[in-house]
Amino acid sequence: MARARVEQQPAAGTTLIVGVGLSIAFLLFMAFLNVVKSGNLLNESNLLFAALIFYSGAGALYLGFGVTGTESYVRFASLATWAGLLANTGAVAHRWYAAGHPPFASIYEMLLSFVWTLAVLTLIAEKRFGVKVIGTVTMPVAIVGVVLMQLLPSEVRPLVPALQSTWLHVHVTLAMLAYAACALSFALAMMFLIQDQVKTETFLAATSFTSVAIYTAIVLTRFEKWGALNVIAWDPQRKSELFLAKGMRLFVSIPDLGWLMLMVFAAVAAPFAIYAYARARKDETLFATANRAVFISILLQVVALAVFFVRVRDGMYPSLDADGLFATNLATSPFILSGLVGSIFVSLMYLLLLWRREDLQELLPDAASLDRITYKTIAIAFPLLTLMIAAGAYWANRTWGSYWSWDPKETWAAITWLVYAGYLHMRITRGWRGRRAAYFAILGFAVVMFTFFGVTYLLPGLHAYA
Amino acid sequence: MAGTNHLGRKLWQTLSSIRTGVILLIVVVIVAAAGTMILQRPITDTDEMQRTYSPQVLRALDALQLTDVYHAWWFILLMVLVSCSIVAASIQRFPNSWRYFSRPYKSPNDSFRHSLATQATISIEDEEAGVLAAASALRKLGYKPDLVTTEKHVSLFAERHRVSELAVYVVHASLLLIFMGGIIDGLFGWSGFVALTPGQQSSKIEMRNGTVRTLPFAVRCDSAGQENYADGSPKRWWSKLAIVQDGQDVRNKEIVVNDPLVYRAVRFYQASYGPTGKVEKITFSVRQANGEGTPRDIALAPEQQVQLDADTSVVLAEFIPDYVVRDNQVYTRSQSVDNPAVHLVVESKRSARPVNIWLPPIEGFAENALSTYVFEPQDLQMGHYTGLQVSHEPGQWGVWSGVVLMGIGLAFVFYLVHTRYWVVPVRDAHGHPGLWVGGTANRNREAFEENFKQLVEEIEAKLKAESAALARLHTMSMAGN
Repeated sequence: MARARVEQQPAAGTTLIVGVGLSIAFLLFMAFLNVVKSGNLLNESNLLFAALIFYSGAGALYLGFGVTGTESYVRFASLATWAGLLANTGAVAHRWYAAGHPPFASIYEMLLSFVWTLAVLTLIAEKRFGVKVIGTVTMPVAIVGVVLMQLLPSEVRPLVPALQSTWLHVHVTLAMLAYAACALSFALAMMFLIQDQVKTETFLAATSFTSVAIYTAIVLTRFEKWGALNVIAWDPQRKSELFLAKGMRLFVSIPDLGWLMLMVFAAVAAPFAIYAYARARKDETLFATANRAVFISILLQVVALAVFFVRVRDGMYPSLDADGLFATNLATSPFILSGLVGSIFVSLMYLLLLWRREDLQELLPDAASLDRITYKTIAIAFPLLTLMIAAGAYWANRTWGSYWSWDPKETWAAITWLVYAGYLHMRITRGWRGRRAAYFAILGFAVVMFTFFGVTYLLPGLHAYA
Repeated sequence: MAGTNHLGRKLWQTLSSIRTGVILLIVVVIVAAAGTMILQRPITDTDEMQRTYSPQVLRALDALQLTDVYHAWWFILLMVLVSCSIVAASIQRFPNSWRYFSRPYKSPNDSFRHSLATQATISIEDEEAGVLAAASALRKLGYKPDLVTTEKHVSLFAERHRVSELAVYVVHASLLLIFMGGIIDGLFGWSGFVALTPGQQSSKIEMRNGTVRTLPFAVRCDSAGQENYADGSPKRWWSKLAIVQDGQDVRNKEIVVNDPLVYRAVRFYQASYGPTGKVEKITFSVRQANGEGTPRDIALAPEQQVQLDADTSVVLAEFIPDYVVRDNQVYTRSQSVDNPAVHLVVESKRSARPVNIWLPPIEGFAENALSTYVFEPQDLQMGHYTGLQVSHEPGQWGVWSGVVLMGIGLAFVFYLVHTRYWVVPVRDAHGHPGLWVGGTANRNREAFEENFKQLVEEIEAKLKAESAALARLHTMSMAGN
């Protein structure tokens, strides 16, 4: 079997490159037609779109390399990453020029900078440390980032008085660098786990648990009576969320979407339940059933995403709190959207692992060096996190009159810091290496993601800008 | 006595263990996270608290101080415990590190040499030549080797970045410094708010808990304003402030959002700016009802009386920013200037009673037709207040020095590696001379192993070159013979 694959390799190798190359060319051509029609070539959204196309191509090639191990894929993948980075740099520069300040002032601008940093770090990790498959993890994150950017309100807003400070730039630059380093350490820890031959079932448990957690959160917070799903209403004229009163958003209920979410919740819970049952009964044969359940859950998740997309974009819906019909918009539900996309992404990652070649190990650096590089990236991220919090505190002291106000964002930044401090203590004094350290690094990144997105959309506070 | 001693030791061991430290960290993380999920009293309206939680739940949360986690006594106790744990752990480990630092281990004994992980033995002809070659190799790598003379032999010791052994204590000390600053601020610091209209002066600051603190000096607002972007969103708020002590201006400054005024460790921040809902000045164009004379402009402040001619005067009796008429009464609906009404009273010696003028003429109230003058509003200037946040944080210098110290400490911890090398002449079982080379590094072992290999190769190359030169010398002297 393995032999047959090796023989097929050259043909298969060219197919993917040609396929990806053609689709990139096709998408660029279509985009070009659009550009010709609008007569505006180098604006930000075109550049971002180009970046998205190139990053997607790079992601596909990296994934192809992860699955087949064809060396030539990586060369083209890094070429595509370079091209994407170029377009991304153009978008950053354009934004900077148009806004007159570095792109750090809203969650859209932060994502723009974050994706840029992530692409740079991916190339550094690949060229400098020889971690070739890192793109399989970082590129999809970059793609999700760019897709989210398309949905978030992106108009250049002037800086509110509190943001007019050099400390903003210091604070946010440090945050972006630290968070991108954390993302890299997460990707490296994942590579380590693959290299360390963690059982596929363990990944199954982790990935399906993530999906279950996401859908639990959606269903618990947004499920409305009679199977509707609550989303925030949108005012198309003013291009903003609708408010009932100050600080109280108006929710509309999309009928039947709640049932769909509940069904998908059951579908993603099934593999997890089967896994738990198999573990309890020590019945290895059931894992195959669990894998099949993952397939089904991915299909249903894609359906849920598509239906969510369509129903949110078009249509007017009633509200329980006000009379009349209201529109809604994807921009009002970035959290649900990133949850849905993230869950699909996680499940696909599991499929990738399931289909991995037996000799994937040879393509990665050995486990010991992955472990070491993970530690090194955290050793870079931790001082950056410290300085980021310090710069934020100093800025807050000049703006809000207090260096620490226990604002949720502040608190969660401190929690992130504590988690990584815990990692460093366990590693240095207790000699934690390998798997436990890798799990810790993954936990750290989960907390970072919550601080970055979760706090902004779930918890109220002073950090209203981003 | 022995019992308490034992208990004390046990307690000390528990407190100083890494396990306790990590458990405490986990507890802090959980509690801090809970504080971001549960609505906190200091930053939430009472109404919203009551809307969100049922009375029973709210009572329970309040009883456990979960509605003000970060100021609860048990949270402060937790922070104190964390501090104690850091101190105890540092004290427990410090002597060892200090030994490393103050008394470098220069001449390794046999058992140390035996157990060292990274070592090599190079065969040599002559002890002295070998040690000299090693010394020059170490110098080439940037070390300054010490010649250590014992009764048996002369050996070498070289090290770099010894201070790295102490860096972690610098980080821990900096954390304590930050905590200390925070605790001082928690105990002696305060923060409040004062709203001033231009020209107003006050030394009374309203605290968060509703009490009033009187400062030994006063702050006066000379002027304040807002600048907008083209799209109407605020660009800049500013206030010109003066500090008044004993009737004299001792400090003047224009503050903006990111730039406070500091006087005697009390800081005044630009926090808000908004309309008071009260009118400052209204300008009217006035002309006589019979069309005689020329129209002129007059400016009226509330309650201000202005003579219109020798017999007649007008006073601005009322300004209603947003009026509504209900049940034969004029009411104020809101404070935003959406639908204003002005009430003027014209008194004249020629008429028996004052005439009420309403602009716009509200039916049933306005007697505009009776007046000998006609008023037309030209311009309206609303009063604005500037909101100042006032705070005193005596502990912040502890926090900032802690932050700087932590930056330095972390840089030392992560980027300075304490590397040590020993070179000792030895003899093997057959009595043949050899050069034992050993080394350690406290971090980044991989890079160190590389350097060690390089050092050994360098020594070997030096020895080879020397022996070649020696051999040449030997053959030359042979040839001479």
